[in-house]
Amino acid sequence: MLVGTAALGLAAALPGRVGAAPFDGAAWRRYAERFLLPEGRIVDTGNKGISHSEGQGYGMLLAVAAGDRAAFDRLWGWTQRVLMVRGDGLVAWRWTPDGGVADRNNASDGDMLIAWALLRAAEVWQAEAYRTAAAAIVKALAAGLLVEHAGLAVLLPGRDGFRKGDTLVLNPSYWIFPAIRAFAALPGGERWGRLSDAGLVLLSKARFGGFELPPDWMALDAAGTVTVADGFKKQYGYDAVRVPLYLAWDGYRDPYYFRPYASLVAKFGGTAVPATVSLPGGTTTQVAASVGMLAVYRLACRLAGSAAADAMTVPPLAPDEDYYSTTLAHLSALAAQSLGIDP
Amino acid sequence: MSRSVLLSALLLGGIAATFGGPDALAQANGNGRALAPGVKVEVAPAPGSGPAPAAGKLDESALRYYARIGDGERLEAEIARLRALDPGWEPPKDLFAPQPAAAGVDESPFWTLLSAGKVAEARAAIAEQRRKSPAWQPSEKLLQELDLAESAGRIRSASDTKRWQDVVDAATANPEAVACNRLDNAWRLAEAYAELKQADRAFETYKTIVTTCPKAKERRDTLFKASRYLGPDRLRELAALGATANPATGEDYSTVRAAEAELETGRLLERLGNAKPGALSAADLSRVQGIIRDKQDADGAIALGWYFQKQKNYAEAQSWFSQANGWAPSDKAAEGLVLAYNGLGEKAQARAAAEPWKGKSSRIDQALKAVDPPRGPSGPGGGRSAPQGPSELDRALARHDFAGCIAIIRSSIERSGPTAVLLQQRGWCLLELKRPSEAEAAFVEAQALAAREPAPKPAKGGASATGKGSDRNPAASGLPQTPTPAQENAYGQAIARLTTGDVTGLTRDLPRANLTPTQKAEIRASLMATEAGRALEDKRYHDVLRLLDARRELEPEPRNLGILRGWALYNLMRYDEAYVQFKSIDDRLSTEDSREGVSTAWKTIYHDW
Repeated sequence: MLVGTAALGLAAALPGRVGAAPFDGAAWRRYAERFLLPEGRIVDTGNKGISHSEGQGYGMLLAVAAGDRAAFDRLWGWTQRVLMVRGDGLVAWRWTPDGGVADRNNASDGDMLIAWALLRAAEVWQAEAYRTAAAAIVKALAAGLLVEHAGLAVLLPGRDGFRKGDTLVLNPSYWIFPAIRAFAALPGGERWGRLSDAGLVLLSKARFGGFELPPDWMALDAAGTVTVADGFKKQYGYDAVRVPLYLAWDGYRDPYYFRPYASLVAKFGGTAVPATVSLPGGTTTQVAASVGMLAVYRLACRLAGSAAADAMTVPPLAPDEDYYSTTLAHLSALAAQSLGIDP
Repeated sequence: MSRSVLLSALLLGGIAATFGGPDALAQANGNGRALAPGVKVEVAPAPGSGPAPAAGKLDESALRYYARIGDGERLEAEIARLRALDPGWEPPKDLFAPQPAAAGVDESPFWTLLSAGKVAEARAAIAEQRRKSPAWQPSEKLLQELDLAESAGRIRSASDTKRWQDVVDAATANPEAVACNRLDNAWRLAEAYAELKQADRAFETYKTIVTTCPKAKERRDTLFKASRYLGPDRLRELAALGATANPATGEDYSTVRAAEAELETGRLLERLGNAKPGALSAADLSRVQGIIRDKQDADGAIALGWYFQKQKNYAEAQSWFSQANGWAPSDKAAEGLVLAYNGLGEKAQARAAAEPWKGKSSRIDQALKAVDPPRGPSGPGGGRSAPQGPSELDRALARHDFAGCIAIIRSSIERSGPTAVLLQQRGWCLLELKRPSEAEAAFVEAQALAAREPAPKPAKGGASATGKGSDRNPAASGLPQTPTPAQENAYGQAIARLTTGDVTGLTRDLPRANLTPTQKAEIRASLMATEAGRALEDKRYHDVLRLLDARRELEPEPRNLGILRGWALYNLMRYDEAYVQFKSIDDRLSTEDSREGVSTAWKTIYHDW
């Protein structure tokens, strides 16, 4: 049995199809079997079996994409029942099997993913209730987390703890561009359009180290200067890998925004792409990028117009592939499908 | 016929044309303008001018943009670039005319953002445009300019955070980011190489700048930048290259060589400043002296003065300080001069040098203390009072204002009555004013008053800080006994009597005087020195030697008495000994006095008149 092949860097050598597998009904069923519990929560298998708002949002997105309304309702039900306990319309971000809600603070990306999934569900199943629920979350986000700073509209990563004097700590991967676009299309959603604009500006500023990669966490000061945030691991890694995914998913095609990831892949082409890169130093970890991360990179390489896209192989998901990697793989396939290209 | 004119004239003309029509343009510009060597733009229709350039052959969007915003330098570079791509290309004649909006996507908003330094905003706007119009691509030129601006920014930020390898990487990825029009980045690249200990590459980078960047000022500034990292030889090489390579018309590269000379001087002066005596080679010393003389560099002369002063070569020091003061009078130069004269024992000269600055420059007042150690009012124990801020009296003493001293003491006595200390100080000031009789009286009065004042506490040990006549030899130091106020007054009286010339009376009274042994020895030594001088005048040469020998038992012989001894020996026709005496003094410090002695004795011995 293959155990953690991606982590050992062997995955790239395995035979199989070149690109990531498309996301279809079969893929969803396998996903649900492994990560969706009957009560309606997605288990983060790589993270001691906890659940979080992000996982619920991803699960709901995939369920809509697979047309599995029953699963979607179970996910949304659990989310409402267990996580939406703050009273302000936002979602507590973290739940543990032992202690229930372990952190009442919200994680803005989780809220956005849930709201976006609800909007998609409203369209697919023509259910106004989902839209109403989505609008409430979007309104709560706009009220508490969408702020102006240095002339830019930015989204705080959570209600508490991301303001340090004149400086905000932001997460580039919380710019879920297709979700933001969907919010902007809601009545009174103009401010969300400005969040997209700001995201592109910040991603142009937040290019560090030799590969010009965005950090997992960045700081934005009052003058509009972007730095790698203090108090977090100063790296590009598991969070920021989603940046090109969301850009692609929203239809951005400017190679400029995808080149950093293609450069990283090109540098490590043929061998394992590292999972993290310290910024700005450029030290890479021994841990290899997971299958899901490689799926994102393949997409990024194609949009960067990089030859590395054809040279790289995305191995199939391992039977014990973890929640995050599996999710990224499926999301990449969805994004590619939305762009009309092979995943 | 074309004339070379300033580009700004062309731009002004062009901009005027935008508003004033082709006629204004024609008037402003004539037939054509040379923008840069080999680049000529025809900006107005001229009879028989060539056919219009084939439209769309080259991307002229940047060219038009630069023309529109009036960025002459970039316009010039862009014309050169397009010419290089197609030698047959001619700049469009309607370069400065308002343009109808181009078909398709209008790039000007992106250019506007870029030229406002909003590179990220330009990137964002382009990405959004590409999302909306997938078939559209920004012009190559726009992308190049964006890349360039970003590379330049990366070089700056990497350099600011001392990530030197990143500086090199960014520059390597986009060499245009370190071209002459981004000189600061080129310097940062050279600095990065130097910090990475790649000295050859640093040198090559500087060399590229001084041989390719046309402006003399840029080359000159580069030399100064390079001086932090390169040795003198390589700097000289850079200066030579910068002064000659690829000259542009209208640039004066002599300033590049001048920069090298400045650096050379600076380097030597820095070494002078830090040098231990004799640390500079004769060649370096002579070079720096030459440079300083040529440039009449007063600061350099002062540095040289200190170099010699530290070596106790007071004569050389004096000469350079004098030179500095002549070129540009300053208290800094005067300070050196005062101390050099003091070193030479020429205290009158020292005071004269200080005169213009006395009381105006703390530097000078401080220096004067070396010439004439101030006699601050004695504390209750007869020693010096604890240091306080300088009183009015202290300041008068420090600036050698003895008349002021008398006046201050008089008003102080009128205000709050006399004290022994004040009266004693009055005595010293009167002595300085060559009023020894009044001085003696002041000391007597002080003594009488001190007898009525409470007995002082014993002061801390240490040599007396008071009581040195300005032309007298320093007292033997390190003797522990501190004089009492009575002894201080007696000492003052003795000095006053010495000054009045009452040598006989003083010699008679000295054994019974209430003086510390140190004071006694000092007075006796002074008496013997005075007697020796008289003996020389009386041609009693044996007495001179006897007195000086006796005096030497009490105190080391100062230079002036050493000269006296030399002449006594000479007059006793002990020429060899006289020569040795003069020579040893002259070796320590050569002055006119000592040189005269050496020369006279030598000529007498060798009949070399």
